[in-house]
Amino acid sequence: MSRAVPPPDRLPGSDLRLSKYNPLPRILFFDDFDEGMNGWCELVGNHAGDLGDIRQIARDFRPPQLSSCTFFDIGTHGSLSGTYSLKLATRPWPNHLAVAIKRVTSAALGLVQFETYFAFKAEQVVPGGRAMPDLRSWDGNVAPSELQFGEITFSNDICSGDPRSRCHGVVRYRNTDTEGNLVQRWMYPTSAEPTTKMERQGLVSLDHPRVDFFSARPEDWAAVPGGRQPLCFNETASKVNWHYVRWLFDTENSRSVEFQCNDRVMDLRNVEVPVYDEAYHGLPNLLNFYMAVRTHTNVRNFLYLDSVLVSVDW
Amino acid sequence: MLRRSFTAVLEKNTLLRDYFETEPYEAGWATEARWFVRVLEVEGDGELRVHPQISPDGLHWCDEGSNPLRITGRGLESLPLTNFGSWLRLQGEFVGGLDSVRVLIYLALKG
Repeated sequence: MSRAVPPPDRLPGSDLRLSKYNPLPRILFFDDFDEGMNGWCELVGNHAGDLGDIRQIARDFRPPQLSSCTFFDIGTHGSLSGTYSLKLATRPWPNHLAVAIKRVTSAALGLVQFETYFAFKAEQVVPGGRAMPDLRSWDGNVAPSELQFGEITFSNDICSGDPRSRCHGVVRYRNTDTEGNLVQRWMYPTSAEPTTKMERQGLVSLDHPRVDFFSARPEDWAAVPGGRQPLCFNETASKVNWHYVRWLFDTENSRSVEFQCNDRVMDLRNVEVPVYDEAYHGLPNLLNFYMAVRTHTNVRNFLYLDSVLVSVDW
Repeated sequence: MLRRSFTAVLEKNTLLRDYFETEPYEAGWATEARWFVRVLEVEGDGELRVHPQISPDGLHWCDEGSNPLRITGRGLESLPLTNFGSWLRLQGEFVGGLDSVRVLIYLALKG
């Protein structure tokens, strides 16, 4: 049986930290969370000094953490490479969302590729503790904890072109619905993320409380074609398996190109990215990246990132 | 390599009315920590008593052992920690006739 010979620039020994990625020609940043936060911080809603002015939905996105993936049963799990990963943690409140952001600007328009290795877990539950499930029907394989994990969202925030055009590219993995049923599907929003300006100027309906930060209404989501993909939760809340993600975005045309998770490559070229109608001041060449995790129950949900690499073709 | 530092805002303009615990925060990478409690508003008489707690797993907690912060009015109070486990949180209790307190709570880490 013959073995494929990798091209010289992909030889495993060329750079052990980068060889697990597939970057475009220029690496804009490579964030190894064994080295620190690398500029990922808590997203906060806009305000002009008075924290009371922050929109309710954007007041409490939680500070990110450097996690060693330590659990009560096994101790420290560690990350894919090294000890630490970036952890986003929700509160144990239904619908609570944790969001981290990294802020850059772009030197040119073109392709931008976001890659990461991530893992997702619901907080461990223990007998007598909150949210302990009924285990009488547990088959020893299907993890009740998997049903306590809500969703992961990857997003960007792009302001480019002349006249300036602003949009958010967004891809979400919906693990469960709000009733706790497994969905296991990649989704995209069909409405633009309401901004502080839109809300303060009455450009978005506030007839009901906002429950989804990334879309105007919770029903404004559609399935990515070919996006049904069970992930490797792996039976127990303290077993951490890392998943590869690659998301290619075209900032010149405000379009997603494709999204890959492990062996599944999803074509996003025909997925509409909502573009804002109104103009935004102070955002020329904006190039932001968000990651988010949301719980649907009273169990904390965690998103772990071993590392992040963003590369460009400019 | 310079030492790492990171400041997390655990509570932001939060109105406390009763016993509370801050969310678990992982700090295994840090060798020293300092809590800051910034009190914006106080209603009622009495005292907010704030205890630092530590945990090996983020689930099970014990007191760290330092004297608690005793907060009776507006201002900024702080409390240092070393030799802690991987997880930190604050536990707060209302003592006397205290009705409510509005706070920002920061955790400053270095390591």
